[in-house]
Amino acid sequence: MSDEGAARAEAPSPLIRMRGVGVVYPSAQGPVNALTGVDLAVADGEFVALLGPTGCGKSTLLRLVSDLLRPTSGQIEVRGQPAAAARRANEFGFVFQEPALLPWRSALENVRLPLEVVDYPASDRQARCESLLEMVGLTRFRGHYPHELSGGMKQRVAIVRALAWNPSILLMDEPFSALDELTKAQLQDDLLDLWASEKKTVLFVTHNISEAVYLADRVVVMSAHPGRIARTVTIDLPRPRTADQRETLPFLALVREAREALRGEPATLTTPTTPTTRAS
Amino acid sequence: MSTQALLVTPAAPIESMLQRFGPPIVILAIVLAVWEFLVWLFDVPPWLLPAPSQVAVRFTRTPTLWYHTGLTILEAFSGFAVSALLGVSLSALIVHSRFMERGVFPYIVVSNSIPIIAVVPLLTIWFGFGLAPKVMIASIITFFPIVTNTTRGLKAADPRILDFMHSINATRSEIFFKVQLPAALPFIFAGFKIAASLSLVGAVVGEFYGSDRGLGYLVITSATQLRTDLLFVSIIVLAALGVGLFTLFGKLERLVIRGEVDTERPT
Repeated sequence: MSDEGAARAEAPSPLIRMRGVGVVYPSAQGPVNALTGVDLAVADGEFVALLGPTGCGKSTLLRLVSDLLRPTSGQIEVRGQPAAAARRANEFGFVFQEPALLPWRSALENVRLPLEVVDYPASDRQARCESLLEMVGLTRFRGHYPHELSGGMKQRVAIVRALAWNPSILLMDEPFSALDELTKAQLQDDLLDLWASEKKTVLFVTHNISEAVYLADRVVVMSAHPGRIARTVTIDLPRPRTADQRETLPFLALVREAREALRGEPATLTTPTTPTTRAS
Repeated sequence: MSTQALLVTPAAPIESMLQRFGPPIVILAIVLAVWEFLVWLFDVPPWLLPAPSQVAVRFTRTPTLWYHTGLTILEAFSGFAVSALLGVSLSALIVHSRFMERGVFPYIVVSNSIPIIAVVPLLTIWFGFGLAPKVMIASIITFFPIVTNTTRGLKAADPRILDFMHSINATRSEIFFKVQLPAALPFIFAGFKIAASLSLVGAVVGEFYGSDRGLGYLVITSATQLRTDLLFVSIIVLAALGVGLFTLFGKLERLVIRGEVDTERPT
């Protein structure tokens, strides 16, 4: 894979650009290729889903972009600068699979945590936290401690915590995979609303095909051993996305395309081979 | 906020107190009555086993008891305080520096396996018969549980929260004071509770050897003079102090730690 191989032309200057990125871990059995030859460009305001099986390095990719991990090879740039510079400029809001809230802080105090760290005027913090909690319907619960909140509420707090200081890039590592189906669907819609109103660039890691197709502008399908990008599926479904779309033929066709890419089948396949289309 | 207000309100104070403390008090009364009766029945000499009533009388007729008790508390508390200060600081160093962890931890483990009673004469040679060696013994004996628990606690912070803090370019001290230290509090208190009773043990052991005051001195002299009733009094006071300290730290813990205290954490 050459550098130009996957360089995309659609955006004049991508917000995030990865060129030939690889990560090699030393291990007892010799070096392990966690990621290899990753070329990816993400435009400003784009919603990109990283879809893949366990061990394909999709979470590693988020850690690379946010400079929590340095690549063994290749380059990562954000706004034309190294990822480390973007991290120092507080460009990244991170959301994890678990809410990872501080149990000794109330909902509002958890949202306030990053504001105490990044350069945010102290006098505006309270108002900012209150408006963020209002955005996700948690005004009544702002004084509650995490153990007094439901799983969905906690994840909402985690999401607005990652938006608190208005970072430009939201990095989400399977944020909804621990939630029940109803809550998950609700939070997916909430996230799309937030994304539309706050104009963020989102990198969303998931192993749920339907979720990736429903949320993203583009689904980057990854495969494992070694972790690499297998194919990219552009999701040209109209926005705003609604739950009804999940049953439409174009949606199901894209889900199938992504699933086939996951299985490593050729991209040209158009005839339905197996009745596996299950839109859940 | 509303749930907290609900949690604070006790349901029925007198009734729940009775339910909690009634049964153990009844059991204690029965045991004491049987003990008293058996001593009277077999005419057991008081140097061998004093009756509860004799112990109670001795309790009221030992005016110096509170002086000895106060001194032992002072030694235990000073030793504990020194150990807590040094222990928590050392743990912070250990967590921040791999060199310190590797360099210091083996010695902490070794120090814990030295029987403290063997060190007492040495400290007496060096520091004499005053307060200093007792305070030192109390702090040495409490150092290990404080350091090990605090170190574990400082490492117990959710790795994802640490990732989050790094991703927003937080400084080491921000991470320490906003995440690691609060996350360690339940562990620190667990260590403090163990250390509190150990500090009493340390002070008393220190007083066994070369001392003319303190509860340890009282224990040794009453034993050698076969004043068994006084020995019982000393032991009861020590036991009460131990329980009192443990309860005190439990209460402090509930005051200091907000939100949910994770029950999976050590006790």
